[in-house]
Formats: sequence, C-alpha cells, structure tokens
Amino acid sequence: MIETKNLTRKFRNITAVDNISFNIEKGEVFGFLGPNGAGKTTTIRMLACLISPTEGTATVAGYDIRSDPTKVRESIGILTENPSLYERLTAYENMDFFAAAYGIKTSDERQQRIRELLDFFNLWDRRNDKVATFSKGMKQKLAIVRAIVHRPPVLFLDEPTAGLDPESAKEIRDLMFQLSQHEKRTILLCTHHLEDAEKLCKRVLIMNKGRCILTGSPNELRDKINPQPVLEIELTKVSSIVLNAIKNENYAKEVKVLDQENIIAVSVGDARVDTPKIVRTIVEAQGQILSVKLLRPSLEEAYLKLIKEGKQQ
Amino acid sequence: MNMQKAWLVFKKDWLEIKRNWQVLLPIILLPLIFSVVFPIIISSVSNAPTQDVSSGDFQLLTANLPADVQALLAEMTPNQVMVYIMVLYFFAPFFLIIPVMASSVMASDSFAGERERKTIEALLATPISNSELLMGKILVSFIPAMIVTIASFAVYSTIVDIITFEIFNGILLLPNANWLIMIFGVAPVIAICSIGLTVIISAKVKGFKEAQQISVILLLPVLGLVFGQMSGLIILGPLVLAALIGILAVVDVAIIYAGVRMFQREEILAKNN
Repeated sequence: MIETKNLTRKFRNITAVDNISFNIEKGEVFGFLGPNGAGKTTTIRMLACLISPTEGTATVAGYDIRSDPTKVRESIGILTENPSLYERLTAYENMDFFAAAYGIKTSDERQQRIRELLDFFNLWDRRNDKVATFSKGMKQKLAIVRAIVHRPPVLFLDEPTAGLDPESAKEIRDLMFQLSQHEKRTILLCTHHLEDAEKLCKRVLIMNKGRCILTGSPNELRDKINPQPVLEIELTKVSSIVLNAIKNENYAKEVKVLDQENIIAVSVGDARVDTPKIVRTIVEAQGQILSVKLLRPSLEEAYLKLIKEGKQQ
Repeated sequence: MNMQKAWLVFKKDWLEIKRNWQVLLPIILLPLIFSVVFPIIISSVSNAPTQDVSSGDFQLLTANLPADVQALLAEMTPNQVMVYIMVLYFFAPFFLIIPVMASSVMASDSFAGERERKTIEALLATPISNSELLMGKILVSFIPAMIVTIASFAVYSTIVDIITFEIFNGILLLPNANWLIMIFGVAPVIAICSIGLTVIISAKVKGFKEAQQISVILLLPVLGLVFGQMSGLIILGPLVLAALIGILAVVDVAIIYAGVRMFQREEILAKNN
C-alpha cells in the first residue's frame, strides 16, 4: 500500500531524510519511531505530497507521489503535528469543509458521516460550538475525525494520542485497531508513545538523524538488542542444590539470584526448548516452583538502546 | 481548475473573516467614514457663506478641469461650484483607498493569517489544487472588497444627492460617468493588484500583522492620486481613468503571475516552520 525507495530530502546542507526504503502492507499499522528531528515528519510530508523528495521515489495507494500528487492526497487522511483546525469555525463547519474538500459531494452524505464520527468521540453535542472553546484533547479527537472523514485507505497519524487522557488515548487506539483490522486501512503511525507502538504495530521503523536504524516487528527489535532470552523463576526457597543442578546443565548460559532471594534469572539459548528442561531439573532437585516468566526487554528499552548506539556512532 | 473547490475555500475563509473583528473593523470603519463623513462636510460647506473658488484651495483643480466642465461651472453660483467640485472630484480618489485597503487586509488574513494560525498544513494536504486554493483566496479578498466599495459608493451617492438635490434645483450629481468608471472599472483592477501584491508579501513574511504592515505601502500610489487630484496635477477624467484601468490590468497580470509562481505548497510550508 505504501512503498518507498531511497527516499531522500535535503534542506540546503541538511539531509533531513536519508535514503529511506520501506514497504507497508494493506491493513498494517506501521510504527515510525525516533527522537525529535529524526526525519519522521519530513517523511510523512513527502508521502502526503506536501513537499517533494530530493531523491528517491514512493507510491501511496498505488499512486506515485511525484506524478500523481492529487490522487495521493485523495487517498490519504493526515493528522498533522498541530490539530490544524479553524478555531473561529464550529466543529461541524470544520468537518463539513474538509469532507467537501475531500470529495464528499452531498451535504446529507457529509452530515451522516460527520455525525457517525462525532458520536463515536462524544462530540456531536458540541458540534455547533466554536473549536476555540474546545480542550486540547477534544481538538485532537476532532483532528482525527477530519483525517478519517472521507474513509481514506491510507492514514498518516502524527502523535494521535498526544495530550489525551488515558481513556481518550485508549479510544484512539481502539479506533486505530478497528480501522486496520476490520476496515483494512493502512496506518503509518508516528509516535513517541512506545506503548502505542507495541500494542498496535505489526512492524516498526526506528529513525535517527534522517536514517533508518532498524525495521522489524517489536519482538524482532527486542531480540536484536537482547538475543538471549531470560527466564525468571520464583521458588518457595532457592537452595544451593537447586542452583547447582541448574548450573550443571549446559543450556543454562548464566544463572543469577535476584535481590528478592527466592527468584532466580536464567539465561537460555531457546526459551521454547529450554523452559520445560529447566522446570524438570528444578523439580528433580526438590525445588518448588511458584511461577516461571519469560523476560524480554520492553520496546522502550530496545528503542532507547538503539538510539543511544546511534548517537555514539 | 474546479471552481466548486475554489468556492469551497471562499466560503470557509469568508466564515472565518466574518467572525474576525480584527479584519472586519477597518473594512467597515473606513468606508463608513468616507461615505457618511464626506457628505456631512459637503453639507456644511453648502451652508457656509459663499466663497470664490477661483482664488481658494481649489484654484489649481478648477483651472485644470476639462473645458466642458469649466463651461458648466461658469454658469453656476460659487456655492454650487464648491459643492460640485468637492462631490465629483475632490473626494473621488479617496474611494480608491477602500478596495486597496479592504482587499489587502482580507488577503493578509487569508494567506499569512492562515499560516500564522497553523491551519495551513491540513488545508494543503487536501486534494484541492494550488490554483483552486489561490482562486478561492483571491475571491474571498476581492468579492467583499468590491461589495464594500460599491456599497460605500451607493451610500455616498444617496446622501450626496439628498443634500445637493435642492442646491442643484433637482439635478442629481451622482452617479456620473467618471464615478461609475472609477468604481466599476478602476476599483476592481486596483483591488486585484493589491491582492496580488499581498500574496507576494504574505509569501515572504510569517504573520498577518507583518503582511498588513508592509501592505500599507500599497496605499502610497492611491494617496498620490488623491493629492494629485487635490492639487490639480491629475484630473481623473474618463481618459485618465481608462488609461489607469489599462495600466493596472497589465500590472495585475504580471503580479498575479508572480503570485501564482510563489503560491507553492512547499514554499508555504517552509515558512510555516
């Protein structure tokens, strides 16, 4: 649905985006991660045909961003960094303008669609209020309504949950899930909320200083920074017999007793194969197991490590 | 170009402008002063003791008027001459300030203001083309400016005719050919010129106020006409007005061409950051 090849954008001497290539499948939520100034917004602007690439190509919904910009714009919905709403207009007037601008011709059709979306976000009762009177969260929701009002097959969402309370953020996440899973809309999600990326994205791309550092699923990223799985095992009591029994097994790469004293952390080669073996060893050594957990670094840890490595290079 | 999309931009911008007193106030106040205060001055002059215009402030102006007008003035009383000159010549170029000022205030708000309020990115992301956007924004600057100009001319004419009806024994002074050419010929081309220049200025500055402040220089040529006519150096007769329309039309084409070239999504966004 989205395909970029060596996409590059230079602003005089600064290369904001440097040779970015990636593909996004239909119905996929693709996470775009990176610190401020990494080049995420510039990439989105190129894909939305707001600025042209210096080098490279891209297609969005089958249309080339260089030769078919109007078709690309018709196929996308965009949530920009700022809500970009007309504060002197009412919520309804704003949505009606954008719905018409995106080609919804009849006012009945526009009204039906706007009502459906404003109802979803509990904003229908405020439709005749000027946007200037709205809270930050309400403006953000309204900007999302604007992005999806014309049912675009591709969505570019720049920080959709920024400034929202937890309940509203969950509403947005649920909506994104629904849009991708049930309506097969492709979403490029630009976010600093790694929790959002972890929950929603099938794959993520980490950018820094205009370059792509890594692309893959959140699990693949974790594995890349910490390839050795760690099992956290809680016992009723950690005895020396149990510890020695584990240490004598060659699948146990490293064994540590954690501060809590009744928990041990064992680094293994393959968690799926080694977990039953280690459980058997502990049981045979008369140990009593309370729980076994597979520890993985969070996406946040993986992200921070990658960015730190990028800075050091 | 899809005119429906241009109208859509026009309607949206007009809704915004209608609710913005910062923009509306100068557009309403200035024409109101011109169309109401000027006739009041005329009324007080008409009631004042008779003066000899051939030796007063209007000496140069009357001396440079066309021969047929001078012949007409020769048959009038000094009081009638004074009112006639003030109504038809002295105040006329002031009314060209209205389309220049109104269109530049609205164009500044529509172009630079939209960028200042950070609403431009979502607008540029829509499938509305550059030419449709530009046309919509030119229309929202041009149509209200012309409505205000024509309305203030209509109010001025009505009040003047009421005041001078008796003085000129039932003859209505306005509208006359000169004024009609000025309002329906010069005012539109001068408004387009002002909008084009404001588009160019707006592309170079960051905000509405900055654009408006620079746009004040657009008034200088019009003020030149005002003082030129007051001093009798230029008389806005049919020929001068026709020449003015021709020159401004050429300037309009050049300025709009430059404006279209500068009205590029990328340039606008670059200024937005």
